[in-house]
Amino acid sequence: MDRFIALLLSGVAYGAILALVALGFIVLYRATGVVNFAHGDLVTLGTYIAIWSIDSLKLPTVVGYAFAIVAMFGVGVVIERVAYAPLRARPPLVVVIATLAAAVVIEGVLAVWQGSSPKLLSSPVGNRVWSIDGADIAVQRVLIIGVAAVVIIGLMLVFARTSIGRQLRAIATDPETAQLYGVRTRLMSVLAFGTSAALATLAGILVAPLSAADLTFGFDLMVSAFAAAVLGGFGSFGGVALGALAVGLIQQLLGGYVFTGYSETLPFVVMFIVIAVRPSGLVSTTASRL
Amino acid sequence: MTTLLVRPGRRSAAAATRPPAYSGGQYLAVVGFMAAAAVLVPLLISSDANQYRANLWLVYAMAALGFYWVFGLGGRFAFCQTLMMTVGGYTSAYVTSKLGPEWFLFGLFSAMVVCAVLAGIVGALTARAQDFYFAIATLAVSEIGTVVFEKGGGPLGPDGTVTSISIPQIGHTVILSNRGTFWLFLIILGLLLFLGAFLERSPVRRLAIAARENGQVAATLGVPVVRLQLGLFMLGSAAGGLSGALIGHWNGVTEANSFGMELSIGIFLMLLLGGLRSMWGPIVGAAFYVGIPQVLNGLDKYEQIVYGGLLLLVIILVPQGLVDAASRGARAGWRATRRRPQPSPGGNDA
Repeated sequence: MDRFIALLLSGVAYGAILALVALGFIVLYRATGVVNFAHGDLVTLGTYIAIWSIDSLKLPTVVGYAFAIVAMFGVGVVIERVAYAPLRARPPLVVVIATLAAAVVIEGVLAVWQGSSPKLLSSPVGNRVWSIDGADIAVQRVLIIGVAAVVIIGLMLVFARTSIGRQLRAIATDPETAQLYGVRTRLMSVLAFGTSAALATLAGILVAPLSAADLTFGFDLMVSAFAAAVLGGFGSFGGVALGALAVGLIQQLLGGYVFTGYSETLPFVVMFIVIAVRPSGLVSTTASRL
Repeated sequence: MTTLLVRPGRRSAAAATRPPAYSGGQYLAVVGFMAAAAVLVPLLISSDANQYRANLWLVYAMAALGFYWVFGLGGRFAFCQTLMMTVGGYTSAYVTSKLGPEWFLFGLFSAMVVCAVLAGIVGALTARAQDFYFAIATLAVSEIGTVVFEKGGGPLGPDGTVTSISIPQIGHTVILSNRGTFWLFLIILGLLLFLGAFLERSPVRRLAIAARENGQVAATLGVPVVRLQLGLFMLGSAAGGLSGALIGHWNGVTEANSFGMELSIGIFLMLLLGGLRSMWGPIVGAAFYVGIPQVLNGLDKYEQIVYGGLLLLVIILVPQGLVDAASRGARAGWRATRRRPQPSPGGNDA
């Protein structure tokens, strides 16, 4: 029983992280139609900025986290200005390639700035562990679940109830008509890039204390988050959150009990089966960008 | 009722009005490319390190040409080209280890067949998936394959590393040197390019473009969209397998991670940098991909940043690729030459 509880909570926590990563690129996708292949590198960069601000600037842990999130919002804006704005009128594929080039630049900057050795990020909850029915649960995992739940619900509320959310949804449905109705598409794309980068950073700094961060840390998360997004129908926030939860649980529970040694392949097996059987994802969505 | 008669004597006039696709220029271009490479590369390259890069260019160009058939013509973005390279490397290594190094060419053929069959299975299972989902599905296949290969076992060795792969051998001729390998790779790339030229001249290209641009409309007009895209996926994957097999025999080793995600994105960049709309795009793009890091070598640790910035610049300035930019430039130059005003008879020549 204790093993089951430990695996269950690990699965939920991992799913929560994947949801944050997936929501980061879906916010951007819905607002601009761009699948950002630099998203994984934004996760890594944000985490490294947090590590640097805590270790080198000697900021308190939570302040360092906040600094990294704000700084990465700025990085997102810069990427929008440099890699997206000049290509706005070009086909989406060209923009996707530009994000790949941005990823190459980010990786290069990280390698020069921080080197390739893995780094550790401190956590405000340290290495504390709770014992639940005999299972030792890292408090960090509980923190991940709590923060992710708040952020996901907050994001859903922002998109459903606020003016900015309505504008972003309008752009996702029909960018030209939205522009004719006075939606500031340029401002929205800047906001989307910034928010996406901030969400990537949040995911990185939540998961990094559980394992060391290296230069490929974010890319691996991004690839698993794709699985979550595909399961969720690549558009609806709720669907993606559910997809992420499913991926996390499948990986931890099936990987822990049945396919030991192959747990990292399970999200991809599920993703492939879903695409083969139901190519538009398990949760259908009406967003026009699909 | 009017009957259209084509007289035998008008054959030359009919040939003159042929569309450019049937003019035979593609075959001549392949011959010209091979002749230029055969003359210039040995002339310009003296060091073994540069010969290695030239060989890498040719063998990457094969994989990128395969990706052009899958994505540039077929319109299906497949992330699994590097997995096909790995599978090709393993297959050929296995065949030559069982049958002997003199079966090298059969090993290459087996690698192509196995990769084509694997692509056929993946493509058939994901035939209904839209473009982005197809890309993600092939990414999944690639990740699964890499993890399974890393576990090793059987002919793959303990951690998916197959070593001591036989040196390329044709008949009794063993190809040991990098220069010898260059000739082998150039001939094989030339054969692939002839196949590419054949496709460019065939109705397959037109039908594939119709299917790529609007699959639904093309299907209503009788274009076998799924079959066509599946066929191109299999063909492109076979080229990827061939490339991986050649690299395996050349380096003597194939690992599960020999061709990782970085190269997968690299092949995409080769195609995009060179140009998506021509089979020459991947050849030029591969040269850029292999050559630019060498040019930037002096920048030391800043190399990757400058490389990424350069890529971004190329994408912004020439989004259709270098081949397209060059052909546009050549056409513009040609037009400018033809429009140059003729000197008037009574003009001032003094």
